[in-house]
Amino acid sequence: MASVELRGLTKRYGDLAVVDDISLRIDHGLMVCLLGPSGCGKTTTLRLIAGFVEPSAGEIAVGDRVVSSPARTLPPEQRNMSMIFQSYALWPHMTVADNVAYGLKLRKLGKAIIAQKVNAMLTVTKLDALASRYPGELSGGQQQRVALARALIVEPETLLLDEPLSNLDANLREEMRFEIRRLHDEYRYTTVYVTHDQSEAMTTADIIAVMNQGRIEQAASPEEIYDRPRSEFVARFIGSSNIVKGRARDGDHVEIAGTALRCIGAKLTAGTETAVSIRQHDVYIMLEEPSGLENMLPATVTRHVFLGNSRDYMVELADGTALRVVASADQSVAQGTKVWLHLPPLRCRALMS
Amino acid sequence: MTVTAVAPARRARLDLSWPVLIGFALILCALIVLPMSWLVYFSVTDKGHFTLANFVKLATDPTFIDPLVTTVILATSSAVICCAVAAPMGWLIARTDMPLRRTIRALVTASFVTPPFLGAIAWELLAAPNSGLLNQAWRALLRDPQAEPLFDIYTLPGLIFVVSCYTFPYVFVLVANALDRIPGDLEDASSILGGRTWTTARRVTIPLALPALLAGALVAFLQAMTLFGSPAILAIPAGFHTMTTKIWSLFQYPPKLELAAAASLPLLVLTVLLLRAEHMILGRRSYALVGGRQSDPRLVRLGAWKWAALGFAFLVLLNPVFLPYGALLNAAFSRVATQIVSFGNFTLRNIEFVFFELSATKLAVRNTLILGVSSATVGTLIAVVISYVTARKAIAGWRALAFLATAPIAVPGIVLGVGLFLSYTRPPFVLYGTLWILLVAFVTIALPAAYQQLQAAFRSVSVDLEEASRILGATRLQALAHITAPLLRTSVIATWCFIFVGVIRELSAAIILFTSETKVISVLIFDLNESGDLGAIAVLGLIMLVITFAVVIAINRIPGFGAIRLRNA
Repeated sequence: MASVELRGLTKRYGDLAVVDDISLRIDHGLMVCLLGPSGCGKTTTLRLIAGFVEPSAGEIAVGDRVVSSPARTLPPEQRNMSMIFQSYALWPHMTVADNVAYGLKLRKLGKAIIAQKVNAMLTVTKLDALASRYPGELSGGQQQRVALARALIVEPETLLLDEPLSNLDANLREEMRFEIRRLHDEYRYTTVYVTHDQSEAMTTADIIAVMNQGRIEQAASPEEIYDRPRSEFVARFIGSSNIVKGRARDGDHVEIAGTALRCIGAKLTAGTETAVSIRQHDVYIMLEEPSGLENMLPATVTRHVFLGNSRDYMVELADGTALRVVASADQSVAQGTKVWLHLPPLRCRALMS
Repeated sequence: MTVTAVAPARRARLDLSWPVLIGFALILCALIVLPMSWLVYFSVTDKGHFTLANFVKLATDPTFIDPLVTTVILATSSAVICCAVAAPMGWLIARTDMPLRRTIRALVTASFVTPPFLGAIAWELLAAPNSGLLNQAWRALLRDPQAEPLFDIYTLPGLIFVVSCYTFPYVFVLVANALDRIPGDLEDASSILGGRTWTTARRVTIPLALPALLAGALVAFLQAMTLFGSPAILAIPAGFHTMTTKIWSLFQYPPKLELAAAASLPLLVLTVLLLRAEHMILGRRSYALVGGRQSDPRLVRLGAWKWAALGFAFLVLLNPVFLPYGALLNAAFSRVATQIVSFGNFTLRNIEFVFFELSATKLAVRNTLILGVSSATVGTLIAVVISYVTARKAIAGWRALAFLATAPIAVPGIVLGVGLFLSYTRPPFVLYGTLWILLVAFVTIALPAAYQQLQAAFRSVSVDLEEASRILGATRLQALAHITAPLLRTSVIATWCFIFVGVIRELSAAIILFTSETKVISVLIFDLNESGDLGAIAVLGLIMLVITFAVVIAINRIPGFGAIRLRNA
């Protein structure tokens, strides 16, 4: 069984470390998403795993053999992996069937077996009617499926996907997302999936590794990443959170706009700059100050948008900090109203800087 | 899980990158570095001693200063004339609804592929002071056989005119392509803000095309400056020299090689400087292409003026295409080259003479075909390997290879001829007197353009396509054979044809390097011109054009291969 393990993996171009000391273990059969903004090193990491790029330091092991290290790098063709490229990289001079059959021909299988396997794969991917077309004659979604079929037919131990859905329109993207997950569950290979789209990562991955500036900021299950972001970067990138900055008063209080908020999360040192994250729909808007509740902040409504099933408010704290609040559609508060915000202590997460 | 085992050693695979790098670096050195080194060495020596006397002579002797001045006048005026004609032509064809635009573009291409020396000979037929067809017509018109000739092609203005005829396509292609590429949106954006047609043209379209025109002027200057054929045919009988003919005359008996080397260096330096300038100008042009999806260029409606425009275009094309081709055709079938063909003097004598009596023809045609095929094959091969290495950055040191492969573009043909002569007439490499030295010259001349074309082709084949094949189990070579090679086939064939055509028409390097056994068609035509055998020239010239056009049309049939760039002979 082939787990994939990255140990202290580093890739430098000149002085610039594009991938900076990454360690990650992916057990066999799991699907990992490398998630991050463009330029965070996620694609380079994928190409390191594929063997197109040689590491500057660290190593990559598949199962119990080291496939990449600065000393020697196994060429891609000997890694028993498959990859789906962002551009799909379908060969324009070959038909759909030829594209799909290519990997099998390289493995010197018999003609009859190849034909049989290709037919089966084309049926699974709903391409059987298009077998003799050329890639240029296909729609984006069809091309995507050809790329998928071509990668899967060789039954790889590891499947690498480089932003496979970024060229599709929204509907198709949703559909292919589930298709990729379904095929993964069916064949149970180890999958590494690169994307910058957090909802894509949330819906497909077993583990999300959020990357920033060549490093992994946090690697955990989607729930964990969503509920308990460890750093400001992760909280911002996953989105729908407010990040407010203040100064730590003691181990679990942060002073924001003159009020001490009780927080969970990182252990704090009094006096340090600290960021606190709270989801937009975890903030409550109250018209009067209730008694006996902690974490109350006075604020003013500066914008109010009705979204149908919810209302989207922008509020401003006494020190000018802006927060976004998603409230139920029933509660309408006019722009300019003075309100009280309740930030439940269990929802306020102090972040590591 | 403990991880102990290391990946098994790769299948014994020779690392070919260093031998490839060194091998091709050596080839390129033999092609370009060695000749240029000898050139510099000779220019600063006299019989083996270091001296600057050659340059002193160059700078003080009027027989060198005059050609230099002539060359500068020739190049400057040609550049100005070319721009003045090519800019309106380019605009009419790319941006207006003038009729027959495609035909006119094709005709400009025809003047593009005409070897300039052939054009010069055709203009001798047309405008020699006494026998020229146009002058004969002029006298007939005046009914005065003793009238002063209307034109005299054997003058500096005559030379400037002929050189401009065959340089103007370079400017035209640059300007027309630039205008093609300016998206109509940019003009629409100006109109929607209230700009009238002419305001828009003046404030948007013309400024966007200006860099191309400027670059065109530089290219025209460069071409006119380094041209050998036309000045040799028109200036020498008139009793003056340009730098190129002066260098050539230094090779006549008694040869003065050191002086020839020294006289070559200013041409080389100027070419390098002008190319840098062109690069800077065109490098900044990319702003014309900024933006998302491009819309088709918007055509200006000329109304009734379109017929005037068409007349202008045909008037321009009269000079490089209709008149010269007519004169050549006429000369080929006339008893006297400068008499209009009639029932009385129609003859196939010239054809018979060229094919059956002139002993040099067979040899020259054979040599030309051998050199055409071998230069095209060798040149394409070298260009394929180097462009692969550089487009894929496959080995360290690819930058050096790329530089060496593009460097010859800065070496005028005649300068390269001098350099190769100096390099390969002495041990250990004695190639002079063989076809090999011509092969070296032709490959070197063709290499930069071939390399640039193929590199663009390699770039257009995404690395992903090769990598997709690798990850499915193909080795580097298998990926090349299955994926890259089939995708590049048309570009490779086109490059081959392109070099072949270039070789057929090359004169300026060949004129320095040929011997009686290694004559090629272009040299033969040049020889026949000196002996005044214009009918035979016309036949040979037409053969040359037929071969050239056949190949050019074949190239244009290949899909996805557009404008071709040929170098002046």
